[in-house]
Amino acid sequence: MNFELECASYGVDGTPILTDISLTVGAGEVVTVIGPSGAGKSTLLRLAALFERPSDGAVRCDGTEPWSLPRDDRLALRRRIGVVFQQASLFGTSVARNVDAGRRIRRPWASRLRGFAERLAARWIHGSPTVDDRTLEALELVGLGDEWDRDAASLSGGEAQRVSFARALAPRPELLVLDEPTSDLDPRNTAILERAIGQARDRDHGVLLATHDMHQAERVSDRVAFLLDGELIEIGPPERVFEDPRDERTARFVRGDLLYDDNELLV
Amino acid sequence: MPIDALSDPTYLRSVIRLSLTVSLFAILLSTAVSLPIAFAVGFADFRGKRFVTAVINTGMGFPSVVVGLLVWYVLSNRGPLGTLNLIYTPEAMIISQLVLATPVITGVALSAVESVDDAVRDAAYGIGGTRADVALITLKEARYGVITGILAGFGRAISEVGSVLIVGGNIAYADGTSKTRTLTTAIQFEVRKGEFETALVLGAVLLVLVLLVNGIVLRLGGR
Repeated sequence: MNFELECASYGVDGTPILTDISLTVGAGEVVTVIGPSGAGKSTLLRLAALFERPSDGAVRCDGTEPWSLPRDDRLALRRRIGVVFQQASLFGTSVARNVDAGRRIRRPWASRLRGFAERLAARWIHGSPTVDDRTLEALELVGLGDEWDRDAASLSGGEAQRVSFARALAPRPELLVLDEPTSDLDPRNTAILERAIGQARDRDHGVLLATHDMHQAERVSDRVAFLLDGELIEIGPPERVFEDPRDERTARFVRGDLLYDDNELLV
Repeated sequence: MPIDALSDPTYLRSVIRLSLTVSLFAILLSTAVSLPIAFAVGFADFRGKRFVTAVINTGMGFPSVVVGLLVWYVLSNRGPLGTLNLIYTPEAMIISQLVLATPVITGVALSAVESVDDAVRDAAYGIGGTRADVALITLKEARYGVITGILAGFGRAISEVGSVLIVGGNIAYADGTSKTRTLTTAIQFEVRKGEFETALVLGAVLLVLVLLVNGIVLRLGGR
């Protein structure tokens, strides 16, 4: 999927959060949004995941404007996008059922009810749950292929986030929107998720990632976008943005001396 | 001829059957009314939401005698629904228990729905869920709270005395079977007769029934 934001703005109750954002994510491309807290990264990602409609400007998926489509057509488009949030937010069921959730809700209701009955029968008659290949494949991508039968509540924070990633990946979305997915993770779990991001790119998924971690942005990105106070300051290949930024504010952010005083940016 | 509650199994069975039928029907109807309200209020963000929540919570403590009086007035011959001839029937008792149980189930279910983290709803939407999918996933996440609400409503309904006495009349047929006599009104009746031992046995039967229903519902709910 070729995703595009064109001059997109977004505000709440007259307060602008994003202003005039233009950004593209191509198939097999990782674009990382960096910026301080409150810059509007999460809002930008919510626009990309079609959670919110821009108050101005356009969102396009393969040239189509989702917000001009009827609800069912927009849903079909939304289902080509996978989302992972900072918080894993797993459902209170098994790991396999979490990963399978996205595929399950895409089935017609009759098939879902049949699946429910079969699952009950499998549990009560055979006494053990089952897992299908697609679910296992998604779990193996995040190194949790052997854990499909576990209760999601028993997972560590890092494992839960990896399951959340597998849940987004299982329906094979064309665009992955990842909102600081590793911000609470240890280096091992972070490395596993970064490897999974790389594999998603190799499979031609587009990836739009928000992160605080500039080293991570450098490691995984094809392009890096610097967002500050709702404005896209600059975008380019990571080596250029980090080593030769064109804007003084980007340079100060990269150096770590972009300072705020009482929420006012000191430029 | 007076009925000996303990030596007449037909009487006891009919009282138990009526208690269970009236309360289960009331809870079934109340759940059907309460869950959509709990979801509508829990999901929506509107002006006056706090007021609506406060009204629901106030309803949880509504005095049962007052509910009985109001239902009696509505269903009595002079009331707006008097032509339906429901007063002193099990249907009137169902209506009375429905009115009492609905705020309880709605209030507890609303609290359970609201306690589901917004992030879980976002996750349900993010995997491609429709509004119905998000509601279903939220219901699954809130299921223990919702079940607790239904059980609390059932507890309130089956243990009800005041309102069912007013709208039901505590009537037994001449052959010893119950028309509108439930376990609770039978207990009250036995106490008034001075049959404390019989009242205690009926109380124990009521407790066992409540325990059984709680056990079955919790089992079905996966706990």
